[in-house]
Amino acid sequence: MNNIFNAKRFWLLLKKTVLERPVQIFGFTGLLLALVLIMYTVAKTLGGFGAAQNLTFIWGLSGGSFFLASFVFGYFSSNASGSSFLTLPASHFEKWLCGVLIAGVLYPLIFLLFYRVVDSSFVIMYHHSLDPASPFYKQQYESVYVFPFTGIIAWKVYQMFFFLTGAMFVGSLYFNKAAFIKVSISICILVIGVVALNWLMSKLFFGNINDAGPLSHVTIPLGKEEGTIQVPDRISDAFNYSLWYIFPAMLWLLAYTRLREKEF
Amino acid sequence: MYYLTNTLMIEIQNLSFGYKKRKLLYRNLNLKLEAGSIYGLLGKNGAGKSTLLKNFMGLLFPTDGTISVNGYSPKKRWPSFLETIYFIPEEVYVPGLTIDRYKNLFSPFYPSFNEEQFNSYLDQLDVKDKGKLNTLSFGQQKKFIIAFALACNTKVLLLDEPTNGLDIPSKIKFRKLIASIFTDDKIIFISTHQIRDLDNLIDRVIIVDNGELLLDASIQGIAQKLCFKTVTELPTTGNILYAEESLKGQSIVIENTQHEDSKINLEHLFNAVTENPVLSKSIFQL
Repeated sequence: MNNIFNAKRFWLLLKKTVLERPVQIFGFTGLLLALVLIMYTVAKTLGGFGAAQNLTFIWGLSGGSFFLASFVFGYFSSNASGSSFLTLPASHFEKWLCGVLIAGVLYPLIFLLFYRVVDSSFVIMYHHSLDPASPFYKQQYESVYVFPFTGIIAWKVYQMFFFLTGAMFVGSLYFNKAAFIKVSISICILVIGVVALNWLMSKLFFGNINDAGPLSHVTIPLGKEEGTIQVPDRISDAFNYSLWYIFPAMLWLLAYTRLREKEF
Repeated sequence: MYYLTNTLMIEIQNLSFGYKKRKLLYRNLNLKLEAGSIYGLLGKNGAGKSTLLKNFMGLLFPTDGTISVNGYSPKKRWPSFLETIYFIPEEVYVPGLTIDRYKNLFSPFYPSFNEEQFNSYLDQLDVKDKGKLNTLSFGQQKKFIIAFALACNTKVLLLDEPTNGLDIPSKIKFRKLIASIFTDDKIIFISTHQIRDLDNLIDRVIIVDNGELLLDASIQGIAQKLCFKTVTELPTTGNILYAEESLKGQSIVIENTQHEDSKINLEHLFNAVTENPVLSKSIFQL
């Protein structure tokens, strides 16, 4: 018998995980998508298409997966459900893969599909609402377009999604209760800590500074002007690559290790 | 790696365990459990009964020493190990599913699950299909999980305070059911502080206290070495392990040097062993 992966057993586990708590999985997915629709409509009215597309893409993808990731390993709020989860005859890898598949693959795919339908519908409606006889028709038509999934903003959001979902996978296995809140607070503390530490270090090196971005730049006053010192591209690229790819990948893998070593 | 053995066995060698490294709950515990017995693990609150069961199950990992359950190392929690063992914790988990739905989703993980037996056990324990499981009373939920666990036909069954939350008729039905399903190729291990609930059910008694194994003996072995009787006056000779005022005089537990036959009183046995650990260990040569 394969103690690492068995396709039939994995299918049974996936089915059990989804159907055991349909309200959490289906209900919250539905709720998140409904919120995306509402957010898009409100943001479009208040800030235009650009704001609506960016805001809903960020919150829907990275926020939604972050939220859902808190459920997939969220069995440890009680002794009984935690024991039941850990003693179910499936491998650690299958349990990890099941959680990753739901919050890290299936939800993002559903979201992207839903987002594309919503975004396209609004863009088409806008294009239809334009007067082709207007002298600004072409300009107005081209000013609104479907959000590109391969654009720079989309890539930034994929990176956020990768980082936040990984953090929640690990956090939900470390914090047995109220993992969503605890992980959110931990991330806030981490971000504030890094920014503050960077500011202090910059202050230490340069004395008077106007601005400092972690491993990015330091802005210092030069008389009435100011000057920016950039971190060399090679170092900055290495930092960004580590922060947005290597570190999140480690978090996703750490969740597997944590699940294997989890005592309850 | 696991090895094949003819007899199912749980073997603990020099087990040390503590929730904090500096404060160990168990120190160098050695224990061997073999198939064909229903074990009763007795201990005070906080003695570490649930902890020991969780170590057997792989939910907690030993600080030192080894545990082997039929050749498997529980801490790896391999599926091939988990499908041979079922653990019923003191508080059970039931999701918001109907009985049928639960069975369909959970039973495929246990290759020896028997649906006919499951329905029969539900009937015997008087669990009625009344909608979702999480809306049932705690006692009904517990009986449902007991029925499911028994129908899984695992070689090892670990029960932590199984009678907590059960009413008196249910406790009797539980005892009958456990006795009826037991076969020589199984190990049933019941941990409880409600000692009377195990009367006439267990055939081996294990008592732990202060992280130490104080007793590991069969019912016959205990009856041979200890005598349980009521006397009007305390005997002046022999090692008295326990004495308690009763309506007819004094109920005592005394070393059975005269080879008398007596009925074991588990409650008195527990008090005798925990109050006189040194004497008890010397009598049972632990």
